[in-house]
Amino acid sequence: MGNAYNPYKTAQEQFDKAAVILELDDAARDLLRTPMKEFHFSIPVRMDNGGRRIFKGFRIMHNDARGPAKGGIRFHPHETVDTVRALSMLMTWKTAVADIPLGGGKGGVICDPHDLSLNEQEQICRGWVRQNFKNIGANIDIPAPELMTNAQHMLWMLDEYETITGHRNPGFITGKPVGMGGSLGRVESTGYGVMLCVREALKELNIKPAGTTASFQGFGNVARHAIELYNKMGGKVLCVSSWDQKEMKEISYCKDDGIDLAELKKITDPFGGIDKTKAKDLGYTVKEGGEWVRKDVDILVPAAIENQITSENIGLISPGVKIIAEGANNPTNPSVEPELNRRNIKLIPDLLANSGGVICSYFEQVQSNANYYWDRNEVFGKLDQKITSAYISVSEFSQKNKFDMRDAAYIISVDRVATACRERGWV
Amino acid sequence: MENKESLGKLIKDLRERAKEIKCIYQVQEILNNQSLSTDDICQKIVNTLPPGFQYPDVCRSKILLSGKEYTDQKFSETKWCISSQIMIRGETTGQIKVYYTEERPDEDEGPFLKEERKLLDSIADQFAMHILHKQLKTVFEEGQLKIKEKKSEWWVILDLLKRTDPRLLVNIAQKMLNYLCLSGINEAEKFLDEFNPSFKKKTELFRESNFPTSVVETNDVLNKSTHVFDIASRHISEEDILESIQKWIKEDRSGFMVNILENMSSSLSEISNAIERYHHLSGQGLELSRPRAKSFRVALTRRVLTDQPSFIGIAKEHVRVDDFNSLMKTIIHPQKSHGKIGGKGSGLFLAQHILKNSVEDGEIKSKIKFPKSWYITSDGILEFMNYNGLQDIVEQKYKDISQVRHEYPYVIQVFKNSAMPPEMIKGLSLALDDLGSDPLIVRSSSLLEDRFGTSFAGKYKSLFITNKGTKEKRLQQLTEAITEIYASTFGPDPIEYREEHSLLDYLEEMGIIIQQVVGNRIGHYYLPSFSGVAFGMNEYRWSPRIERDDGLMRIVPGLGTRAVDRISDDYPMLISPGKPDIRVNSTVEEKIRYSPKSLDVINLETDQFETVQFSEIYEKYGNEYPFLQHILSEVDDKYLRTPKKIGHDYSDKFHIVTFDGLITKTSVIQDIRKLMEIFREKYGTPIDLEFAHDGNDIYILQCRPQSSPEENLPADPPLNIPKKDIIFTSQKHIPNGYVPDITHIVYVDPAAYSAISSYDDLVNAGRIIGRLNKILPKRQFILLGPGRWGSRGDIKLGVSVTYSDINNTAALIEIAMKKDEYVPELSFGTHFFQDLVEADIKYLPLYPEDGRSVFNSRFFGSSKNHLADILPDMAYLSNAVKVIDVAEVSAGKNMHIYMNGDEQKAFAVLSEPAGRVSLKRKVSAPEFKKAKTDLHWKWRLNYAQEIALSLDQERFGVKGFYIFGSVKNATAGPMSDIDILIHMNGTEEQKHDLKSWLEGWDRCLSRVNYFNTGHKTEKILDVHFITDEDIKKKTSFALKIGALTDAARPLPLKRQ
Repeated sequence: MGNAYNPYKTAQEQFDKAAVILELDDAARDLLRTPMKEFHFSIPVRMDNGGRRIFKGFRIMHNDARGPAKGGIRFHPHETVDTVRALSMLMTWKTAVADIPLGGGKGGVICDPHDLSLNEQEQICRGWVRQNFKNIGANIDIPAPELMTNAQHMLWMLDEYETITGHRNPGFITGKPVGMGGSLGRVESTGYGVMLCVREALKELNIKPAGTTASFQGFGNVARHAIELYNKMGGKVLCVSSWDQKEMKEISYCKDDGIDLAELKKITDPFGGIDKTKAKDLGYTVKEGGEWVRKDVDILVPAAIENQITSENIGLISPGVKIIAEGANNPTNPSVEPELNRRNIKLIPDLLANSGGVICSYFEQVQSNANYYWDRNEVFGKLDQKITSAYISVSEFSQKNKFDMRDAAYIISVDRVATACRERGWV
Repeated sequence: MENKESLGKLIKDLRERAKEIKCIYQVQEILNNQSLSTDDICQKIVNTLPPGFQYPDVCRSKILLSGKEYTDQKFSETKWCISSQIMIRGETTGQIKVYYTEERPDEDEGPFLKEERKLLDSIADQFAMHILHKQLKTVFEEGQLKIKEKKSEWWVILDLLKRTDPRLLVNIAQKMLNYLCLSGINEAEKFLDEFNPSFKKKTELFRESNFPTSVVETNDVLNKSTHVFDIASRHISEEDILESIQKWIKEDRSGFMVNILENMSSSLSEISNAIERYHHLSGQGLELSRPRAKSFRVALTRRVLTDQPSFIGIAKEHVRVDDFNSLMKTIIHPQKSHGKIGGKGSGLFLAQHILKNSVEDGEIKSKIKFPKSWYITSDGILEFMNYNGLQDIVEQKYKDISQVRHEYPYVIQVFKNSAMPPEMIKGLSLALDDLGSDPLIVRSSSLLEDRFGTSFAGKYKSLFITNKGTKEKRLQQLTEAITEIYASTFGPDPIEYREEHSLLDYLEEMGIIIQQVVGNRIGHYYLPSFSGVAFGMNEYRWSPRIERDDGLMRIVPGLGTRAVDRISDDYPMLISPGKPDIRVNSTVEEKIRYSPKSLDVINLETDQFETVQFSEIYEKYGNEYPFLQHILSEVDDKYLRTPKKIGHDYSDKFHIVTFDGLITKTSVIQDIRKLMEIFREKYGTPIDLEFAHDGNDIYILQCRPQSSPEENLPADPPLNIPKKDIIFTSQKHIPNGYVPDITHIVYVDPAAYSAISSYDDLVNAGRIIGRLNKILPKRQFILLGPGRWGSRGDIKLGVSVTYSDINNTAALIEIAMKKDEYVPELSFGTHFFQDLVEADIKYLPLYPEDGRSVFNSRFFGSSKNHLADILPDMAYLSNAVKVIDVAEVSAGKNMHIYMNGDEQKAFAVLSEPAGRVSLKRKVSAPEFKKAKTDLHWKWRLNYAQEIALSLDQERFGVKGFYIFGSVKNATAGPMSDIDILIHMNGTEEQKHDLKSWLEGWDRCLSRVNYFNTGHKTEKILDVHFITDEDIKKKTSFALKIGALTDAARPLPLKRQ
């Protein structure tokens, strides 16, 4: 099983490519290829039936040259150290591309919340903090919710941390509910971020957003807020597709004079599933799932799942399409990117396009540290500023150095981290 | 004038009353005179009566008593007469008669006033009391005398009986004689011949005669009875005799019950009267011996509830005779009814009384309630049909099922337009008065259901009625609902089901329960806060920490209809009452996805049963909805917040159903769990409950021993399966179930899968599954793979699929292979657990390395892999994903999975295609089951052949016509479509024409299918067109032609 798939190895290979391009020296490569610190510990938990069980916990800090590390805590029954290592590295690049003063980390516990009562989960969260509290904190390493953890877990962890340290310290963790140290605008930030990038891209193409058209795949949280902002900017969405749980397939809903977000939201379930019959009644043309990609629009926004633009449908993309903004993770198959470049379609890569989430997370931490919370507009104003400048840096870097946007985003982030390490005299 | 007249009448009336009262006083005076003999008394009363009547001058009277006659002097008999019986101890001993000697104008009863009738009756009563009193006094005095004479105490009793109740004396004597014989006393045995059998005849005579007139006839028997006791006194002790006599006298007081209950011809009304009488007597200290009490309980259960022996066995321990008294008051039945209240009604009644009579725990008793219910006996439907001359509808069941379906709407109309028999109307009217004006549910309670342990779940109708408006309107609503349920007996579904279970020839005896719907009015809706079903055994465990007997609850807000049935577009909340904290859904996303979104309610405005969005209700009426804070959680991005009882705003926030409050802040789940444990102990078997909660109390709506649907019965493989034909076995976390006739196995090899080096290829393995899921015959293939199906987060741990990639599989199987010295935990299907439950896709974990299980690696290793044939572009993953055609590698066999949760054993074996293998059953009797006769595939194939034969090749440019899928494989079900592949080389226009030609067929076949099965299918012909080029390139369905596995079969076309 020597060459079995290993996400850590894949992440290292990707880094190696960037290191070659950036001509990093051996010390920088050695430092950035592996996490700087790893903590492995056991968490004893008293189960509901009185028995004891020991759970394995991790916290891996990949790099904190640019600021305290930041990254989620995962609960998964088959968590492996290598997965956590790979994800902590990705966090370093994510914070760097958004140009926020944070590093990258990740942690987790080997457990399946499906087999645990809430009380037991609470014990695990508190146990995790007890075993590791010296190595984490608002100025060291900041956890957040991730796979199978949520705001409730974060509050338990925060409470345990504050109990141990004897201080109120809401900046210790993010992903908290509003009113308990959370930030406003969290729900909207990723979707808005996507559209702010699109706005900058249009600017580069000398096109005014008003009068442009777009087609969306997916109608979940990201897509809905992106559409909301896009409409405000004057754009018209001609098509959205959504997953139909009943029919077990994707369906596209089209309207030539533009969809009405408010009316569509009314007939949508919390997962972005649109009620087909009601949509028909509202005058939407109901077409098969792949229709969104064929639409003659200026902008395509795949905001659902991975691997949606492939060699199979690349030919269907209308000649009028100018921008593809990756609202989802990895929606574009790497094999079609040369073709997109050839057709001069501007691709806004996921690392950049959906960085609104991590930026807002950073804002939450800043507000928590200051114990002063901004209103919604302040959050959005700062988000705009932050993501716009991130976009401009990546775009300029790409033009200057003749990289496509995806490579540019990755390389610029590695470069920023490597520079910080160098300036600190680590390498 | 008028005033004067009415005043005159008033004065006249008063005068009459005064005369009557005076008469009564005089009679009382006579009776109170201790010195008078009976003769004197009679004579004096005869003289006293006439002045009490309206026309004293022509009034005469007469008393007949014990054969003697007393009259006044001028007495003569005429036709103008009234008389009253003198009843002593229930028997007529005489009469008092009053005559007018001349004709007088007609009043209430001939020339007599109704007040005069009352007068005479009360005098007769008083007189009878007096005579009885006198008799008893004499006996008592004599008894005292005899005690003084040191005669045995029991002789006193016997003597007393001899005078007052000789029938009882003979009865007791007979018992004593039997007792002596049983004790082996020769003298008694000899006497037996003399005492029997002529005795019986005589007692019959004796009972009819009027004591003491016929003393002569009875003397012989009485003497013989006394003789019995002479014998007894020689052989057993005084105490024993006394004790026995006392016991038998006590028993005799309930003898009337024995007569009624043991007599199979006594009707329900007679039983009802007897119980009522018993009820009054028991208030006066009537006690039953233990065996007699038990025999009463058994007899009553059999006559009134159900004759199922296992039920009777439980009921006799918990239901008291007196409990039937109140039950009988709520049973509506035809006049000469011999019906019962049927399975559901009985189950509820039993549950109620187990709790009332056999449970000590006062707390649980106070928490559990039962909705008020009325019952119509099972023969109500026959009475209804007789009354309306509908007897010939019974023949429906012997008609062809498509005809039954065709005629069913007509049957409903006929029933609905028929009238209820008046006596039942009367009963229903009483029921409505008692039940009040809250909505009602009218449910069927079939006798067939309990007869063979068959579950007719969902086969017969239950109807909700709003029960509002005038009494007349409510009554009409109720009778309409009842007739509609009666009509549903002749619906195609129950008839088909009965035919399958060989129950067709039984009478359709359908009891009815009319029950208050538990709930509250919320807006213009009526609904309980939440309702659900609870199962004693959990066949759908989502975590290895949950045991089977932790049970399973399916709960929903609103009416329980959505919890009882599987629902396709929504989910009930699943809770394991033994481990309520181990929830199916753990992440916020899962909780949202699987939270119930709709609820069933009664709309009081439209009089309809409706399904509405929960959000519409809680946003508007959140603060009126009792218990809502225990049902909903507010979603604040990724945080779930349980609402506070006061001051929570439901209107503008997003909420989901989590029942978090119910689990963590109330004792409801524990209470139901406790209740189930109590019932389990008393029934001796796990039970199923239906319940509802109105915000204050838990109401039990139904209770019965766990009746598994067929697919959840434990299944064992046939014996003597050769070892090579066992594909795998497993012994841990096994649910009950049977998955027959698996034609294809999709096997993801754990070792090969984990050796895949690229992420994309791991993803592709999942995609292969999704594509196979659409190609392989639905519900006839299984997915077998490593670790966690649908793994999120780490693709290496299991194939990454979503529910839509696996929704056609018959079973989802996870293999736990040792990895670095530890066996990974399996997912138990958690990622799409609730989808699996609602679609009844079985989940099974395998532990091949546990040392006990069989895993036939050779079978998986050496069987031909068809992946490359089916998905040539994915051939390079052939070492990881295998598609095995079971029939091909096993000479025509299929694979069958037998799962026995009771014994924790599962077997997958190769054997002949089952059709239907009879399962080893616990509850129902397999011999009653017929082979399934509805061959859905057969007529489909016939029609497909017909279509092919009548298709004009030239006109449409058709080259070939193929059939594939379930029809070809002879596995089609009632919902299956007919998969057709048409090879054509015609023009687009020809294709268009062919399509419209086929559309005609399609409509026709959909109709045929509807009449055969009741399933409305929009499209039944699933036609795929392929061209020469497709065949050359082997694209999509062209693969099916000449395929190595599951190949399409060509059908002959019309000859040119």
